[in-house]
Order: sequence, then C-alpha cells, then structure tokens
Amino acid sequence: MKPRPRRDTIVAGCAVGCAAVAVVAICLGSTGWRSPWAWTAMVGELRAPRVLLGGLVGAALAVAGVVMQAVLHNELADPYVLGISGGASAAAVASLALCPGLAPGPAAAAGATGAALLVRGLARGPHDPTRLLLAGVAVGSILASATGAILVLAPGSQLLRSSTSWLFGGLGTPPWSALVAPAVAVGLAVAWLTAQATRIDRLTLGADVAAALGVAVARLRRRLLIAAVVLTALAVAASGLIGFVGLIAPHAARRLVGEGHRHLIGAAALIGALLVMAADCVARTAFAPRELPVGLVTASLGGPLFLWQLQRGAR
Amino acid sequence: MTPAAPRPALEATGLAVGRRGAAVLTGVELSVQPGERLALVGANGSGKTTLLRALAGLEPPLAGALRWDGGALPHGGARVRAVGVLFQGEPASRFTVRELVTLGLGLDAPPSPAARRRVDDALALAELAALADRPCATLSGGEAQRALVARAVVAAPRLVLLDEPTNHLDPAGRAMVEALVDRLRGHPRGAIAVVIATHDLALAAGCDRVALLHAGRIAALGPPARVLAPALLAAALGVEVRRLDDPDGGPPLFRVIAPRPRAPEAAA
Repeated sequence: MKPRPRRDTIVAGCAVGCAAVAVVAICLGSTGWRSPWAWTAMVGELRAPRVLLGGLVGAALAVAGVVMQAVLHNELADPYVLGISGGASAAAVASLALCPGLAPGPAAAAGATGAALLVRGLARGPHDPTRLLLAGVAVGSILASATGAILVLAPGSQLLRSSTSWLFGGLGTPPWSALVAPAVAVGLAVAWLTAQATRIDRLTLGADVAAALGVAVARLRRRLLIAAVVLTALAVAASGLIGFVGLIAPHAARRLVGEGHRHLIGAAALIGALLVMAADCVARTAFAPRELPVGLVTASLGGPLFLWQLQRGAR
Repeated sequence: MTPAAPRPALEATGLAVGRRGAAVLTGVELSVQPGERLALVGANGSGKTTLLRALAGLEPPLAGALRWDGGALPHGGARVRAVGVLFQGEPASRFTVRELVTLGLGLDAPPSPAARRRVDDALALAELAALADRPCATLSGGEAQRALVARAVVAAPRLVLLDEPTNHLDPAGRAMVEALVDRLRGHPRGAIAVVIATHDLALAAGCDRVALLHAGRIAALGPPARVLAPALLAAALGVEVRRLDDPDGGPPLFRVIAPRPRAPEAAA
C-alpha cells in the first residue's frame, strides 16, 4: 500500500512549493523586495491579485491540458489545440482594432469558444481524435492569418503594440473581483475531474476498452471537452495566450505522480500555477521597470525544461 | 419437476452482426454455458472480431437478440461483472500492472481493501505479483498479455471474451497465456465462460467447443474433434491441414501444409 501515501505527499509538496512561490512572487516586484509582514496597498492591490490570478490561469491551463491529452489520446495536445488560440487571437485583435477602449478578454473568450465549437462541428460524426486535431490545426491557421491581416491592415501602430502584449500573454493589474470567475471555475473543475478520475483513466486506454470497462464514453468525452474549453476560455480572457504551460505542466505532473488522474489533476494544477506565478515574477523583474509578456517567459523557460525532461525520459 | 438447467452465460438467437450497417455474419445461434470454453475459428475477415464486439455489447446487433446471463448487459461499472474483454493489439499503457488491473474493476472511487485483495488475486492468477508495480510499457509481450487477461477477469465476470490471446507471443509467452486461460475454468469466484477468437488451432483444440466461421455464418459448431477436421478447415481456411493427434491424450497439433490452389474458373 506504499504508492498512495507517497503520491498524496507529492501533491502536498507541490502545494507547499506553489504557496512558497506565491509568497516570493508577491514580495518581489519591479520596485524590489517587500517583506510579507509589511503589507502595503501596493502589495495588497497590485501584486497579490496579479500573482493569484497568474496561479489560477496556470492551474486552468494545466488542467485543460491534462483533459485535452486524455480526450485526444495525444500527449502533444495542449489547451489551445482545437483552434482555440487562433479564435482567441482573432477575436481579441479585432476587438482591440474596433473598440480600443474595451478590454479584449471577453471577446477572446468568445472567440476561443466559437473556434472550439466550429472545430467540433467540422469534425462531427463519430469521435475521431485525428479529425478533431486536423480540423483544429486548419481552423487555427485560418484564424491566425485573419489575425495577421487585421494587424497589418489596421491604421496606426498602437494596435500592434497592444495586441503584441496580449498575444504573448500578460496579467496586467487585475482587480480582486477579476479573480472570482477563474477561482470558481478552477475549483469546480478540479473537484469534478478528480471525482471522474478513474473514468478518465479508463478513457485513456481507448474508447472500446473504456466502454467495456463501464464508461459512457461519448458523454464523458463531451463533458471533458466542455470543461477544457471553459477553463481555457477563462484563462485566455484573463491573460491572453500563455504558451507551453498547458503542455509542460501535465508532463511534469505525470513524472511526479504517474498516470492516475486522481493525483494527476491536482498535481498538474499546482505545477501550472507555480510555473505561471514564477514566470510572471521573472517577467516583472528581469528588465524592470519594463515588463516582458509572461508568455515569452513561459516559452523561453518551458522549452528548455521540456527538452531536458525529454532527454531524461530517453535515458 | 426436473431441476432447471443452468442459465447460459451467453445466448445469441438469430443474431446478425456487422460494421456500419453491412452484415458480416448472419443467423448466429450460440449458447455458452458457465465454465464452458468456446473457440471462434475462421479466416481473416470471417467476422470473428465483429462477433466478439457484439458479444461484448460494443456493437448493437443488426438483427436477433443477445442475452448475458439471461438478461441485458448492466450499465456502468457493473458491466465488468457480466463481461470481461481482452482486445486484440491493445497498446501498452503507462499505468503500472496493478493500476491497469485495478481499472478492470470498473470502480468510480479508490479501491477498498476488499477490492485490492481481488486485484492481488488476479495478479497471482496471472503470475504477475512480482511485476505488479512495473509500468506495463516495460513488460514483455507475454507478460503484457497476461496483465490484460488479469484486467478482464479481475471482477470475476460470468463471461470473458478473448480476441487472439496468443497472437505475436513467443512459445513461452503462449504457453503461459494458455495455462492462464486454463486456470479460469477453476476460478475461485465461480466458473467463467470463455469465448476465444483465434487463428491458433492448437488453442482452439483445447476448448470444449469450436465454432467455425465461414461465408458469413457459423459453418460448423461442435466439439473440436469434429469441427477441426481437415475437410472443414480446408473449406473455411483455404489451406490443407494435417492433424497430428497426441498419443498421450493431449490436444492435437495441426500442420498447415500449403494454401490450396483456387478452384478452376467455371468448371463448365
């Protein structure tokens, strides 16, 4: 009976690490280190909500990544794979071009959801992961070219600047109220998915095997896809596109706790949260007072980390 | 009043099965008793796997009726106590052997101590206790196949369906899988009926009955000594088969001589 306590301990360790990174990220900023005991308005109103939103976005992307990989039977799947990044970018850039005063988040969430529905509609019929992935790639590239066309053809250079910071991800200075929807969604999703863990485990063995093992495959897949799209749309609305977290966090979590989704969901959520909080801390401080888009940091740190993991796995 | 005959573990009446609406097999009449072992033999494309999928409840029949233990298949996790399935060519997962076998219980919650004991029993039955914590992807072909059989039987179903259980195995792996299938007959939780789709004629010869699939129907059904006769096999498989009986009473060996030349076109 050894494995279970060990995995619980690892997940608890991830939680402790996550909390430690959150504290450091709140204390550390472009203006230097503030002791956690000296809670100023700047810390309370600017840094703390931003750091926690980063954690929620990271958790949402990581959990959505785990779900997409399970549903599509593909370890390279990430939350954006079903044309979602293309839909979110096109809608966000269009919103910035047409209504520059409005935050692009809601439009991005709508674009992400719309693209996912379009991809599902195009790949209708019996569930086929390959068709879904190919439809996602096609829709994603069409929408990416639409995004490029808007950026090039729209007058003025302001759009390019504001869009870039959105396309590479940025957490901005969110009010506390901006945390409510992502917090509720992530909490509900992690609880529900953990309750579905052994069904998801069986689903990863293939549709026929899962059906023979008592899983209502079509219904489970539909619900999982909806959960992943909602989580991704909320993340995109809050922070733009933050690449690599939804791919690397599930893989890192698998290395730590194995394949079983009972521990994998929670571990991935915590690792995703940790990654985005740490990356955002680097983004705020590395070239202070200028800020890097957080997505650049996750990709530039995540890429080498991922390669290192692959090398270790090959040995 | 005479005592009631035991309820068949599986009963098919007037069954037609196929893929995407096109019938592959029709007029299937089958009844498998608890503890009985039935082999499905036929050439590639004769419908063995299609029939097995229908018997597993994964493909609705095009016509006719199927009854498992006298009724319909239960929904949800209870299904694994009615039918266990070994699929052909299932890729190795990254679960450990113990995790894989535990999934065969169809549980929606973490396993109870009693459930863990059942997993231990199934691992012991498949002689996999020493490998329980190894990832399945690191097992040999024979070990992986035994792990999948253990997953199919861990819930002690009334019926187990095995699709090509000895395919691609070396002689030792094949012998161990065959011995495992033998042990299912004396399963401590009750007799398990086993239906095996196979090209392995020696494995079929060790079963209680054989169904020979040919030309879209069950061409012959009966004890192996009658159905695995050279003339019937030649017609169904298109090969000349020589049967070598074991003087010690063991299952016979089959020597496939050569594909028979096609019958000349239009003998007129």
